[in-house]
Amino acid sequence: MDIGLDIFLQVLVWGLYAGCIYILLATGLNLIFGVMKVVNFAHGQLLMIGAYVTFSFFVLTGFNPYVLLAASIPILILIGVSIERLCFRPILGTGKLNEIFISIGLIYILENVAAMIWTDEWKVIQSPFESITVAVGDMKIPVDYLIIIVTTVIILVALYIFLKKSRLGLAVRATSQNRKAAMLVGINVERMDMLSFGIGAGLAGAAGTLWVVSGQVFNPYMGSVPAVKAFAIVIIGGLGSIPGAIIGGLLLGIAENFTVLTIGGAWKDAVAFLILIIVLIIKPTGLFGEEAE
Amino acid sequence: MKHTYVLLLIGLVLFGAFLAGCTQQQVSTTPSQALKIGVVASLTGPSSTTGKDVWQSAQLAADEINAKGGVYVKDLGKSVPIVLVQGDDESTREGGQKAVSKMITQDNVDMLVGGFSSAVVSAHQSIVAEHNVPYIITGASTPVITRRTDVNTSYMFHHAPTTDDSGSQTTLFIDNVIRPAINNKFGYPAERPLKLAVLYQDSPYGKGHLEAIKNTIANNSLKINLVSQETFKMGESDFRTALTSIKSADPDVVYVAAFLNEQIPIETQAMRDVDLKKIFIAIEPNDDPDFYKGVGKYGDYSIIQSRFSPYTVPKGPTETAYKKFVSDFDKKYGGFPGMMGVATYEGVYIGAKAVENAGTLNKTAVKNAIATLQMPQIVENMQGQTINFSQDFRESKFDLTMEQLVWDTAVNETRPKIVSPANLKESEFVLPDWYVPAKA
Repeated sequence: MDIGLDIFLQVLVWGLYAGCIYILLATGLNLIFGVMKVVNFAHGQLLMIGAYVTFSFFVLTGFNPYVLLAASIPILILIGVSIERLCFRPILGTGKLNEIFISIGLIYILENVAAMIWTDEWKVIQSPFESITVAVGDMKIPVDYLIIIVTTVIILVALYIFLKKSRLGLAVRATSQNRKAAMLVGINVERMDMLSFGIGAGLAGAAGTLWVVSGQVFNPYMGSVPAVKAFAIVIIGGLGSIPGAIIGGLLLGIAENFTVLTIGGAWKDAVAFLILIIVLIIKPTGLFGEEAE
Repeated sequence: MKHTYVLLLIGLVLFGAFLAGCTQQQVSTTPSQALKIGVVASLTGPSSTTGKDVWQSAQLAADEINAKGGVYVKDLGKSVPIVLVQGDDESTREGGQKAVSKMITQDNVDMLVGGFSSAVVSAHQSIVAEHNVPYIITGASTPVITRRTDVNTSYMFHHAPTTDDSGSQTTLFIDNVIRPAINNKFGYPAERPLKLAVLYQDSPYGKGHLEAIKNTIANNSLKINLVSQETFKMGESDFRTALTSIKSADPDVVYVAAFLNEQIPIETQAMRDVDLKKIFIAIEPNDDPDFYKGVGKYGDYSIIQSRFSPYTVPKGPTETAYKKFVSDFDKKYGGFPGMMGVATYEGVYIGAKAVENAGTLNKTAVKNAIATLQMPQIVENMQGQTINFSQDFRESKFDLTMEQLVWDTAVNETRPKIVSPANLKESEFVLPDWYVPAKA
């Protein structure tokens, strides 16, 4: 098919939007892995809970769903902290298998709890800005997607400033780089675990809110597919690397959408793993990953 | 050390007891003689909403039959009650195999009713074939279910419209109703072909629709040009790029073969994000209250092909039975039973009637009785007003309706009006003012 400039740009916007959701999810996952060296397979379920938290507050208060980021992020931080304290801390260091099975178990627990609270029927809400578009050349871009992209950038900048400029952020990075050395200089690494899990969950909550605002449907079982993509991004970008998660998320979001346009939707999910294989062949540690200790 | 082993053993026993308690078993204790029907339903997993409808509808039918004294079996010289056995396919192929295998080999069911998606049913058909158990399949829209040759399907009967049936009737509607309406309204020549885009799920269901569309166009020499064919994976939620691609092909109509969780974002994203001002066509599994709620104003003027709607009742001989079934279901369980629900409700009645006709619980005799059944339609409109199964592929044939969604300010949602077939029509098909046809 002929791909004109307008179609190219339109698909690029859809790719950037998808990339934003992936970035938030993968960044959180990477932060948790970087600090705790734990792979949280239930990370997609945190996105799902973020979506339901937004939905519930929207139904109860009628607030603008973007404002509800102020509810979904803190609530998910609390849920993340609780999960870390109750599930991961007791088994940390007892073997990777324990961590894996805890996080797999959490998938089913969180899905069933969500189904119990909100039922398993599909839900959807619409943004108050749904009918507003912005003209870019010949294109009309719904303003929601621009807000989502800008919101993601703001969240990432805030995370960057926290990690680079604050003492707490410095301690998180130190724990991520060398846990033993961090302990030796007096950093409470368990507190850093709790903090990183909380922030990671909060980012998943933000992804859930943005998912809902864009008019996507959701039910308790919707978290697995985005989570699989986030895992692929983490590996593509490099384990523990936040810039890697950002570049990987954008790369995947855009690649997926151009795959749909050129080859067809049936190949959309495969492209993540195609990129993953190519990246691993060229650079086994991922785009921004460092050699394992 | 000894204590550790004892504790471990106690733990294992308790865990086993817990697991046994978690597994849903038969509904009630089985009387010594009963017609045992295994209900294959997705009671857990992503399709559990539909699965619940299937199970509850089967229960409603069994309760009604039992309240009237049960099923008369001549060989036994008495009526026996129906006992339903729950088979949760867990919305997966493996779950279906496990459930069907258990119901046949451990619960010794006399027949099976139900089955949801084509993929799940296909996976357990070989088990049914191996044990020669009559199976009335009330889901699984692919015609392959009773036409495949790698498995003996002679004990399987398909009581749900196939993708061939619904694809063909919908394509004929596009040619007979929508194409003339566009050509009239925009002053195009009557012979101008309609440009059709198809967005379909990459599954037997979606591919079956695409195939049916192509065959119907070819076999009837319809003036319809397929200008775009886009596909997506089951469960997809982001259709913006596929819809952008469809928009660039400039169709008149977009035919979508998708499930409810896909249909809602497709129509929403098309209208809201891609500005694709076309007539959208949805297929029957979507005619559910959740669809109307989810799609909101974006569904206005779209078409839905249906056979059992929550909001419109076809006038005619089944009207009373329809209303009674919906009302009884709502009173007993709350909510709307859905298409899979009504087909399973009928499936239990079909099974009971076949046993009565056979006069025995012998599986081969029951299978033969189903094959030769001539039963008045129950709730859904059947072709010839009779439930029977075709000689070649053992499929029952439904009368399908085409409905157009119209915004209803009283409920702040769209509501359907039947626009085809002519004998059931409630209003004429309308092209909205915002509609933009393909360039001539």
